[in-house]
Amino acid sequence: MNWIAILPEAVLALGILTIFILELFLEKKHYKFLNILAFVFVILAGYSTLFVEYPSKLFFEGFSVDALNLIGKLFILAITGLVILASYDYFTKKDSKFGELPYLYLIASLGLMVMLSSENLAIIFTGLELASITMYILVGLFRKDYPSKEGAFKYLVIGTTGTSMYALGSALVYASTGTLVLSSIKEENSLFALGVLLIISALALKVSAVPFHFWTPDAYEGAPTPTTAFLSTVPKIAMYFLLVKLTIGLISSFPDWKYLVMTIAIFSMFYGNIVAYAQRSVKRLLAYSSIAHAGYFLTALTSVDKHLFSALLFYVFVYSLATLGAFTILSILEKRDGWTHHFLEFKGLAKGSPILASMLTLFLFALIGIPPAALLLGKLGIFFGLVKSEMLVLGILFAIASLISAGYYLKVIVYMFLYTGESKFGKVEVSAGEAFVIFVSSVLVIVFGLYPDLILESLLRALS
Amino acid sequence: METLLNVAIFLPLAGAILVALVRNELFTKIASILIGGVVAVITLVLFLAFDFNKPNFQFETYIPWIKTLGIGYHVGVDGMAVSLILMTALLFLAAYIWSWKIEDRPILYFSLFLALETACIGVFSALDIFLFYLFWEAMLIPMYFIIGFWGHERKVYAANKFFLYTFFGSLFLLLGIASILVYGYFETGKISFDYFFHLNLDYPLWLELIAFLLFGIGFAVKIPMWPFHTWLPDAHVEAPTAGSVILAGVLLKMGTYGFVRFSLPFFPEASKYYIPLIFTLSVIAVIYAAMMAIAQTHIKRLIAYSSISHMGLVTLGTFAMNHDALNGAIYLMIAHGLSSAALFLGAGFIYDRIHSYHMDDLGGLAKYIPYFTFAFFTAVLVGIAFPGFASFVSEFLILLGTFKNYPVWAFIAGIGMVLGAAYSLYMFKRVMLEEDAIPEERKQRWQKLRDMELHHALPFALIIVLALIMGVYPYPFVKIVEHTSKLVFGG
Repeated sequence: MNWIAILPEAVLALGILTIFILELFLEKKHYKFLNILAFVFVILAGYSTLFVEYPSKLFFEGFSVDALNLIGKLFILAITGLVILASYDYFTKKDSKFGELPYLYLIASLGLMVMLSSENLAIIFTGLELASITMYILVGLFRKDYPSKEGAFKYLVIGTTGTSMYALGSALVYASTGTLVLSSIKEENSLFALGVLLIISALALKVSAVPFHFWTPDAYEGAPTPTTAFLSTVPKIAMYFLLVKLTIGLISSFPDWKYLVMTIAIFSMFYGNIVAYAQRSVKRLLAYSSIAHAGYFLTALTSVDKHLFSALLFYVFVYSLATLGAFTILSILEKRDGWTHHFLEFKGLAKGSPILASMLTLFLFALIGIPPAALLLGKLGIFFGLVKSEMLVLGILFAIASLISAGYYLKVIVYMFLYTGESKFGKVEVSAGEAFVIFVSSVLVIVFGLYPDLILESLLRALS
Repeated sequence: METLLNVAIFLPLAGAILVALVRNELFTKIASILIGGVVAVITLVLFLAFDFNKPNFQFETYIPWIKTLGIGYHVGVDGMAVSLILMTALLFLAAYIWSWKIEDRPILYFSLFLALETACIGVFSALDIFLFYLFWEAMLIPMYFIIGFWGHERKVYAANKFFLYTFFGSLFLLLGIASILVYGYFETGKISFDYFFHLNLDYPLWLELIAFLLFGIGFAVKIPMWPFHTWLPDAHVEAPTAGSVILAGVLLKMGTYGFVRFSLPFFPEASKYYIPLIFTLSVIAVIYAAMMAIAQTHIKRLIAYSSISHMGLVTLGTFAMNHDALNGAIYLMIAHGLSSAALFLGAGFIYDRIHSYHMDDLGGLAKYIPYFTFAFFTAVLVGIAFPGFASFVSEFLILLGTFKNYPVWAFIAGIGMVLGAAYSLYMFKRVMLEEDAIPEERKQRWQKLRDMELHHALPFALIIVLALIMGVYPYPFVKIVEHTSKLVFGG
């Protein structure tokens, strides 16, 4: 057996155990060290992917590594590392220092990485559950804060429903085909169809697509902001890598799957974009924007085409960078007492902290899809992919939805720059970690906008 | 030469980054003027080196960029582009000099203008549609902040309106680009954003009709054509002087540039089909905007409406479908860039000194600030197409060309020119003359007014000298714009 194949996961698990044990002995004031350690382990895990030989299979073909899921793991690790760096100062300022925090992020990433590297529905379930349960805890980490607990509870109830749907779906698929391994599943009967339908619903719930989106705004708003940044990026990357694999291996054998995914996508795009206009809180607005983006992403899963998939995965990654940047800025602002992310509080932000305001502007412009941010290329890639797969109407709806979305992002920018208002909050303090995260994500968003081939080509090669 | 064009595009951007890093006010101002000057000289060299006898694009650079989407870095110029770039560089230089005394956040101000210059020159030289779109959008952001930061009372409203209108327009443009790309893909099996790739494709009529409208809305908002014009008066009224100069002088030309560069050669059949529509809208713009201008008491609003009116003439000339009219239209793009810039400089000077744009607060200034009166009157003459200035040549060519094919339309548009003279001279009279009609107290205030300083006079001189050369010796300029009309119509 080729044990090297699970090296990244092993490194990460080792890191989790180390931090877990250290946390028992360390005093509270040394918790910063745990964050740094977690970051180091993420780097190590990322570095260890270089040694992995692929394609290879382990554990009776339950665990497999290929170029695509290695890229996925790298993406996950990259964003997780950034989240860990950005999160420490926030929790310190909020007086909620928990030694568990860094390893909870690592456990969630580990779960998602396991989920990515399996072709077996049951093992996918294991990884998914590992990640999901960790994320319920992460959302509810503010023990004394009511919205945080409410968000966590909603997320728990709805998320568990999702995982149970997934479990039932895989059980039905197993009942009708006699196997859980993706590539060999093909059957045409109603039991199988129901199973696939349930799996699609469960995954739609995890990516917060309409009509399974209800947990998203509350969980996103209630969660500590760095965790929101985590929730809206890392699991999304993993889910879309998984969905690409499932679309090839499972979903495309479901009759009329195209129309199903298409419907979900269209409703998500328009619902997310339209309801976002009604929000008074910027954090909640970004939650709705994430629902809309789920719609954009799902449009790319309507046909099996490697160009479409590579554009999708590229888009998800650069979207994660931009969202991470935006949420990090929100968390910096939230470190001050009384900040609630209400629009009115953003008035005149540009005057007090011009650099922060311009960076947030950059990320919001990127989310609109203004060049040279990489997100425009993601959008274009999906659009032309749709055209190539003869889905012109969906492409046009996608374009219209993107067009609608411009207004609410602009609203934030307008409040920051063009209104003046005296700030009743203290001075903004940016920690080194946060500054680093903002710098890296903004630079990468621009660099990948100018040289998308850095990622796109390796994605294309991995997909073919 | 190819290198020089690339330098002209990216030197201002490098300058923007440089001044933002150095963060010294005096350095910022000197560096901006120097960079503006260097770019102006470079564009002049390009202009002189341009060979208008060769029927192709010149100074081309092509570097493959994003291969998966068929995007390349492709720049090059034809006669229209090279002369618009010259005008752009000149107006930016004028704007930098004019802003010498700015006190409110000068570093940000100059770096936004420098970034804007890169985007503007980029728009005029891009030969890759994606690159064009990139510069086209990139230009929005600095302009938005220039209006929003340094504008007057209602700057927020004006900046938002400007942004939303033009952003809305450019999304249609993006849809249009997507539609021809999709067709190109189905026809040839590859996706390419290259200008010449699309120039060589023959689109079916139905696609031409749709794509023309999508492109057209994008361009029409920018020009602005009636009925998409309502953002312009607001944006101009609220923008700072240098912002207005660039907005009227350069940004408005991008719309008409787009019509000549993309709509006419890509969609020749649709262009013919939509002539009645374009002509109706143009003539409405010419007459209606001129009437609106007469009704204004706010100087900048008046000049803004006069811009709409003149741009109506440009679109009229563009779609009259012959060489003369198109030559005139391109010529007017440059001439109007100069005249509106000079008029906005005048309005800006008045505001600097008297802090009002309203004619009711002004009047009788001529005696007290004679140098300015001379400059402003020359600007008015350039604006009303007085013989001897650039706009006379251009408007004459437009009417001549239009008359050949569509005499009635030419006649109606001619009325607009008369109205143009009426409102411009009326404004001059209300602002500078009529000394008897103003109260004594105001005359005493006027006594203390200072006339133009060097940083006011130089921009005027730059602009008016070019307008004069183009009016007195139009031969090389007409030859150069003819280069484009030959490319478009053949011959």
